[in-house]
Amino acid sequence: MSLRVLLVEDDRELRGTLREALEVEGYEVLTAASLCEGLALIAHATRPTGEAHEGPPVDLVILDLGLPDGDGETLLATLRRRHALPVLVISARLGDGQKIRLLDAGADDYLVKPFSVGELLARMRVALRHRGTRVTPSVTQYVSGPLAVDLSAHRVSLDGSACHLTPTEFKLLARLVRSAGQVVTHRQLLADVWGPECTEHTHYLRLYMGQLRAKLERDPAEPQRLLTEPGVGYRLIEGDDG
Amino acid sequence: MASPLATDTRPTTLRAIVVPVGVWLSAFGAMSALDGRLDLSNLAMVLVLASALASLWWPPWASLPSSALAVLAFNWLYVPPRGTLHVELGQHAVLLAAMLLVNWIIGGLMLRLRTRAEQARRHLHDAEQLQTLGEALRDATDPVAHAGTLHAALAELVEGPVALLVLQQEVPETNDPHATVCIGETDDDAMAGLWHCLRQGRAMGPGTTRHDELDAWYLPLRGRKAAFGAAVLHLPHPGRDDPALRAHAQALCDQMGLALQRRQAADAERQTRDQAHLHAVRNAMLAAISHDYRTPLATILGAASSLHDQDERLSDAQRRKLAGTIVDETRQLARLTDNTLQLARLDAPGVALSMDWESAEEIVGTVLRRTRRRLAAAAEANGTAAPPLDPSHRLRARLEPDLPLLHCDALLLTQMLDNLVDNALKYAPAETPVEILVRRERDQVLLAVRDRGPGVPPAWRDRVFEVFQRGAERQPDPQQRAGAGVGLAVCRAIARAHGGELRLRPRGHGGCAFECRLPVESPPPMEPPR
Repeated sequence: MSLRVLLVEDDRELRGTLREALEVEGYEVLTAASLCEGLALIAHATRPTGEAHEGPPVDLVILDLGLPDGDGETLLATLRRRHALPVLVISARLGDGQKIRLLDAGADDYLVKPFSVGELLARMRVALRHRGTRVTPSVTQYVSGPLAVDLSAHRVSLDGSACHLTPTEFKLLARLVRSAGQVVTHRQLLADVWGPECTEHTHYLRLYMGQLRAKLERDPAEPQRLLTEPGVGYRLIEGDDG
Repeated sequence: MASPLATDTRPTTLRAIVVPVGVWLSAFGAMSALDGRLDLSNLAMVLVLASALASLWWPPWASLPSSALAVLAFNWLYVPPRGTLHVELGQHAVLLAAMLLVNWIIGGLMLRLRTRAEQARRHLHDAEQLQTLGEALRDATDPVAHAGTLHAALAELVEGPVALLVLQQEVPETNDPHATVCIGETDDDAMAGLWHCLRQGRAMGPGTTRHDELDAWYLPLRGRKAAFGAAVLHLPHPGRDDPALRAHAQALCDQMGLALQRRQAADAERQTRDQAHLHAVRNAMLAAISHDYRTPLATILGAASSLHDQDERLSDAQRRKLAGTIVDETRQLARLTDNTLQLARLDAPGVALSMDWESAEEIVGTVLRRTRRRLAAAAEANGTAAPPLDPSHRLRARLEPDLPLLHCDALLLTQMLDNLVDNALKYAPAETPVEILVRRERDQVLLAVRDRGPGVPPAWRDRVFEVFQRGAERQPDPQQRAGAGVGLAVCRAIARAHGGELRLRPRGHGGCAFECRLPVESPPPMEPPR
C-alpha cells in the first residue's frame, strides 16, 4: 500500500513538478489548487475500496500558504482540529515569526521556496515517522553515528563510553530526541525543559546547547547533530534507523 | 545741554512746557533789569532771542501763541505808553510786527526741523528693526522659530497687544490650528480675522480700504505669491490710521513672509533633489540587480535548453552535469533574491528586527554547515574534477572561548556571514583558505571573514559596499563572476541595523578581511534553572 499525500499548491508548474517527483518516489498524490478544494478533498476523499483503513483519507499534507482563496494557515487549523495528520508547510514568504507560529500551531515542518526535491522528501520521511504511520512505539532509543541515547535508562554514550549530562542537559537532549529530525522551536524547548514561565529566556538555551555540544559534538563550533535553525529553534538530525 | 532735537518723546512732554516758560521768565527778568539802560529796539532783540530759544522746546501747538503772547506782554510792559496795549503808529508798530513775524518764522522753522529729526529717528529705528529681523531670518533654517522676534518687534511698534499666526506647511483646507504656530493672545474673532487675512493675502483695518471699521490692523505675512501667515495689531488709538507705522509693520511682516517662502522653496527643492537621487539610485540598483540575475539565468537557460533539445545525444554524465549546473545556479538566484529582498527591507524606515540573545558559535556553525553543503553539492554537480584543496578544508572557523551572547537577529547575521564567506570563496583563488574569526574586543565583538585572495584596490574599498558597484566589472578575468553587488551592500546594511559597522581591511600578506564589529550588550541575568 502506497502512502497518500495531499498536495495543496496553487502554482500549476510547481504542482505538476512536485506531483511527478513524489509519484516517482512511490507516493500516491492528490492535488488541490485552492483552500476549498483542499478542504473538500480532506472531507470526502475515500480510500480505495477493499482497503481496511481507519482514520484520515490521506497520510500527509503538503500545504502552500499563499492560496488564491485564503491563507493556508486556516487549513492547518482545520486539519489540526480533526486529524493527527502530519502537515508540511511550503511557502515563498516565511518570516521567522511566521515559521515559529506555524510550528507552534502544529505544522510538522516548513520549507521555504525554492527548495529541492531531496529536501522535501527528507522532511516528509521525518514527518511521517513522527506521526506514527509506520506504527513504531514512542521513541526511547536514538542512535546517530557515535552518539547513542537511551531515554528510558537515562543513558547517553559517545563512542561507546558513557557521557555524564546534568539533569537539565538531559531533559533538553531528550526533548530533541523525541522530535529527532524536526525543528523544535525555542518556545517549545523552553516550555518543556524549563517550564511555561521561561518561554522568553532564550539565553538559557544558548548556554545549555553550548554545554551539550561541548560534550556531544567532536567540534562544538561546527556541530554535526545538534543543529541550529537561526531565529526559529534547534533540530537534532534524524537517527540512523530513520 | 543735550540737543533737544535728539531727545526721546516722552520726557519732553514736561520739559516742553517747563523749559520754554523758564526761558521766557528769564528773558523778561533780563529785560526788566536792562530796562532804562538799553533802548527799546535792543530790548526787543532779547525778546527775539528768547523766542528763538523757546521754540526749540515748545510743542507745536504752543509755539505761535506763546510768541504772540510774549509780544503782547512786551508791548504792555515796555512799549510806551507803558501799561497799555496802545501802540504808537510808526516805529513801534513796525518793531512789534517785525518781532512777531520773526518769532513765528523761527518757531515754524524749528518745528519743521524737529519734525524732520523725529522722522529721521523713526526711520532709523525702523530700518534697524528691519535689519535685525532680516538678519535673524536670513540664517534661519526654520523661520517659524523667529516668529517670537517678529512678535516682539510689532508689539514694540504699536505699543498694544499683537498676535501672529504662522503657517508651518501648505495652506490647509480648513482653518486647522495644527497647521500653524500661533503667538500671542487671540480670541475667536481675531483668529477668524487672521485666517481670512492669510487666505486673502491682503491687509484689513483702518486706512487699508478694507474693513476700515475694525479697531486693529490685520496684516498678511506676504511672500511673492501668497501669504504665509498673518498678524493682528491692536492699535493704541482705535480707528486712527498711521500710514507710516502701518507700512513699517507690513514691511516687518513681509520679511517673515519672504523668509517662509524661501524655506518652502528650499524644502521643495530638496524634495525634488532627494527624489531625483532616489530615482537614480533605484535605477542603478535595478540595472545592477538585473545584471546580476542575467548571469545565472543565462547559465540555467543554456543547461536546460541543452537538456531539452539535445536529450538523446547527451551522455549520462553530461546530462547529470547540466542538471547539476541548473541546481547550482538556481541556488545562486535564490541567494540573490534573498539579498535583494533583505536590502529593500532594511532600507525601509523603522524596520523591526527580531532581536534575541544569540550565540556567535551557533551562528558561525550554521554558516559553516550551509557552506559545506553548498560546496559539496557544487563539487558533485561538477563531476569528478576535485579542486586542489578539498572545499571543506578551505573554510575554517576560529572562535575565542567564552564569547558573550550577541543581542541580534540571528537570521540576518547568518545571512551576512554566509554572503561574506560565499564572496570570499568565489573571489579568492580555489586553493586559498578562508577563515571566519570571532573574538571579543573590549565592548565589541569582531566577526571577520578573511581570505588570501587578490584583495581589493584601495579606490574600491568603500565602493564595494555600494549596490551598483562590482569589483569584477573591472577585472577582465572572465572566470571572475560578478554578483557581489547586492551581497556586500546587504551585509553592510545588516551590520548597521545592529548598531555596528562592516569594513574592508587589506591583510598583511595579501587578501582582505571583511570585519564586522557589533556592540556587546549585557545579557539578562541567568536564573538558576530548575
